[in-house]
Amino acid sequence: MNAHYLARKLAQAFVTIVAILILNFLMFRMMPGSPDRVIKNPNLTPEMIAATRARWGLDKPLLPDQLVAYVKATVSGDLGYSIFYRGQPVTDVLGASVGPTILLVGLGELFAIIGGLTIGAYAGWRRGGKADSIGTGASLILYSMPYFVIGMPLVVIFAAGLGWFPTSGMTTPGMSDQPLPSQVLDLGRHLVLPLLAVTLGLLGGYSILMRSSIIDTRTEDYITTARAKGLQDGYVLRHHAFPNALLPMVTLIAINLGYVVAGAITAEIVFNWPGLGTLTIHALSARDYPVLQGIFLLVAVSVVIANLVADIVYGFLDPRVRA
Amino acid sequence: MTVDPTVPGQRRWPLPKQADPDAPLLRVEDLAVRFRMPNGSVKAVDGVSFGLDHGEALGIAGESGCGKTTTALSLVKLLPANGYVKAGKVELFGIDLVPKTETQIARYRWREIALVFQGAMNALNPVQRIGDQIAEPIEIRLGQPRESSRKRAEELLELVGIPRERAASYPHELSGGMRQRAMIAMALACDPAIVIGDEPTTALDVMVQAQILQLLEQLRRDLGLSLMLITHDLSVIAETCDRVMIMYAGRVAEEGQVRRVFAAPRHPYTQKLLSAFPNVRTDRRTLEVIPGLPPDLRNPPPGCRFAPRCPAAMQVCSEVVPPEVRFADGVRVACHLYPTSDLISAPDGLTRMDALGAGEPQS
Amino acid sequence: MTTTAVPPAAASPIQRRPPPAGRARAFAGRFLSRSDGRLGLLILVFFALLAIFPDLFVGKLETATTATGKSLQPPGGGYLFGTDELGRDILNMTVHGARISMTIGLMATVITVMLGALVGIVAGYVGGKTDTILMRISDFFLVLPTIVLAIILAPVILDVVGADAELFGIRATMIVIVVVIGLTSWATTARVIRSQVLSIKMRMFVDRARVVGSGPGRIMRRHVLPNVINLIVAQAVLTFAIAVFTETTLAFIGLGDPFAPSWGQILNSAQGAGAPGLGAWWYIAPPAICVVLVVLAFTLVGNALDDILNPRSGVRR
Repeated sequence: MNAHYLARKLAQAFVTIVAILILNFLMFRMMPGSPDRVIKNPNLTPEMIAATRARWGLDKPLLPDQLVAYVKATVSGDLGYSIFYRGQPVTDVLGASVGPTILLVGLGELFAIIGGLTIGAYAGWRRGGKADSIGTGASLILYSMPYFVIGMPLVVIFAAGLGWFPTSGMTTPGMSDQPLPSQVLDLGRHLVLPLLAVTLGLLGGYSILMRSSIIDTRTEDYITTARAKGLQDGYVLRHHAFPNALLPMVTLIAINLGYVVAGAITAEIVFNWPGLGTLTIHALSARDYPVLQGIFLLVAVSVVIANLVADIVYGFLDPRVRA
Repeated sequence: MTVDPTVPGQRRWPLPKQADPDAPLLRVEDLAVRFRMPNGSVKAVDGVSFGLDHGEALGIAGESGCGKTTTALSLVKLLPANGYVKAGKVELFGIDLVPKTETQIARYRWREIALVFQGAMNALNPVQRIGDQIAEPIEIRLGQPRESSRKRAEELLELVGIPRERAASYPHELSGGMRQRAMIAMALACDPAIVIGDEPTTALDVMVQAQILQLLEQLRRDLGLSLMLITHDLSVIAETCDRVMIMYAGRVAEEGQVRRVFAAPRHPYTQKLLSAFPNVRTDRRTLEVIPGLPPDLRNPPPGCRFAPRCPAAMQVCSEVVPPEVRFADGVRVACHLYPTSDLISAPDGLTRMDALGAGEPQS
Repeated sequence: MTTTAVPPAAASPIQRRPPPAGRARAFAGRFLSRSDGRLGLLILVFFALLAIFPDLFVGKLETATTATGKSLQPPGGGYLFGTDELGRDILNMTVHGARISMTIGLMATVITVMLGALVGIVAGYVGGKTDTILMRISDFFLVLPTIVLAIILAPVILDVVGADAELFGIRATMIVIVVVIGLTSWATTARVIRSQVLSIKMRMFVDRARVVGSGPGRIMRRHVLPNVINLIVAQAVLTFAIAVFTETTLAFIGLGDPFAPSWGQILNSAQGAGAPGLGAWWYIAPPAICVVLVVLAFTLVGNALDDILNPRSGVRR
């Protein structure tokens, strides 16, 4: 991995994160009656309020003192206190919700990538064939469906209708007393439908993009060389076309990551999945600004980090960049 | 033909099962290739015949779009999806390849006929090391174990003048000339009977071009290769090839031994082509240009396809396709100027040959 | 011996552009010959009719007070799509939802395309530092997912302005959604148009205009713009698809206007009433299918336009 490439990408990520922090800070101050309104949290003791005032430098001028204080506080993990969750630190509230979201989104991305890239590759390779028409048609339809539009019918058919899976939640109440295998099975049963919704929601887009990439790759000269070598069609697809078509996909998948987490919010609502999504809804309706800002910060920074990781992975995969 | 791998110039692997050991290496008869386009069918190759013998080097020359590359690709059915062989015979060791299916013809690809493409930057897989790319057909097509395939790949690299250690390099890490050499090494991987070079030196500068041509000549001597060189550059053919075939608009204009054709070109197109090349040794200061453009091959003109641009065109030329006539000295021409095969001597033979640097002409 | 003359048509490489009427007809022919263009157009015309004349099809929009049905009835008994929890006719709401969803989509698209095209053209043509700065800003907006920005901006703006405030007769909630979609989508359009402008810049006629002495603004307006119009149109259609998609999502989350039941808003009410868990499929299916059809149609039409209007090396279709 070229040190220069890595350093450049790290620097870019750093600048973006700083920009996000500043944006977050400004929005915090743009709020009506802020910051006093946020401080006027009925669930905080007067001592906590005074301490927060001091830590965030609210009596000092806006720039640069408050900005610096804000950055310091954020970096050290102080994101304020939740209004809705009775004065709990925002970090705790977020921490409790991150796990279920990562589980759902992580597995969903994994299956969608595997499924989408495979379908897209076959559809694009045999362009105009039956696999292409069916695969691309289905992908286009899925691509037009928001996660909740996929999720709601799933609930109606498989949960309410056939009763194969629970209609909502991540676990059945009272499960924590049961032995571990039953807990895992219970989690699994609850996971199936939301996971299906997220996977299908992502799959369509990846399939379409991969198809495009394979079609572009197919016209390259080295594919003709591979055919001229007498190699079988399927082998050429898997060993020559696919690795090259994969390169632009890495970037696209990373860019998509931010939208995935955001979209997962809607999937969680349908299934009452106790992750960041459900948290967002409750925070929105309660106008719990500290929590909302915490979510914004978390998701935005994750997106930047995801892009950075993708750049690094791309650097490993494409030897032309490494040099 | 018995196989003795230790004798230079001999095949290392047995002939294909269906091969006729007494048959000539390659005979192409009346090959016709079409491309299906949305607004008509392009008659890219229309009645092309030629042959190639063991150890021979045949040059195929002509303007862009005359069908040289298409002819070469169609020998092993490497055409794009909308191209197909409409008619004709391609007999390799007496085996007709035209009726073969995709799976059947794969047997002959690379193991009997290998190609070296132009502009090897794109013709090599950018994410694979060149050593692996050369070893790939040895391992997959010849069924050799991985280790010995890699070893053989390194041997081939040395053969073409690339140090062994570079086997671990990626294509973008090599210079243009080295990439072309790597392509040649790759083409030799399965010890093919025929190597087809499609504009192998066009993208390279003159010095490197000379090196590559020298390499090809040396390999031909040492390995007994048969070569087909496709190019629009006549000087390359003059230097490297035994015979030359001039194509125009999908048909053969003239074909024969290089010295004879270049010294005394019979077809008006060949004459024009030769005079379009700059000449270091004479005083000629202007280059002749052939006015007009090649015909649209969706609706080629009836009769001779060169007639619209031919300075010697007659009434019959735009009506009747000129028949192919074979002269006693082995040259074939398709032109109404030569309705019979009486040998005609050409003027200025010596000057032309010298100009192309092909050495002493024979009488 | 007669010499055959060179046919004039073969010799002339310069092509004359056919007149505008001929071009329009040729374009229409190419567009309609594509199955995706045909299907997309058909769907869009259908929904446009619904959006422009909802009252013709189902009468006025039913509200909670004018609802006459029983709560959560499946289809039947005069209600083609059944009723919601307040007894409102779902067919009625779905048809009216067309107008609301498409209007928001249209406004958002206009903002996105205007902003994106402006930035793209300026950045591409002026180049240099301006280009770098503009592209850095657009990169930042590209990184931010729409919804994430929406959940911050929407409540803030609504609290500042007041949920019932109106601007030109449009409710604040609607404006917020439009603004949020515009803010997060303009960056893609800007990048695409900038690429095109860069390649146009290299063409001769722009240089000629500069030599003649035209100022940059004039050049951008009279020379660059007409050549990116095709691309802008194709981008606009694709943006429309995304705008409808996003509006539906934002409304579903609860950032919509409860008094203007777009399809997303209907689905929000459905979720709130527990429709999925109760198996009330008639509440969910109509708005869901409408959203999917409209987004799909815009995507198909946009892709068809993109393929036809934008020449690329290598024939795609």
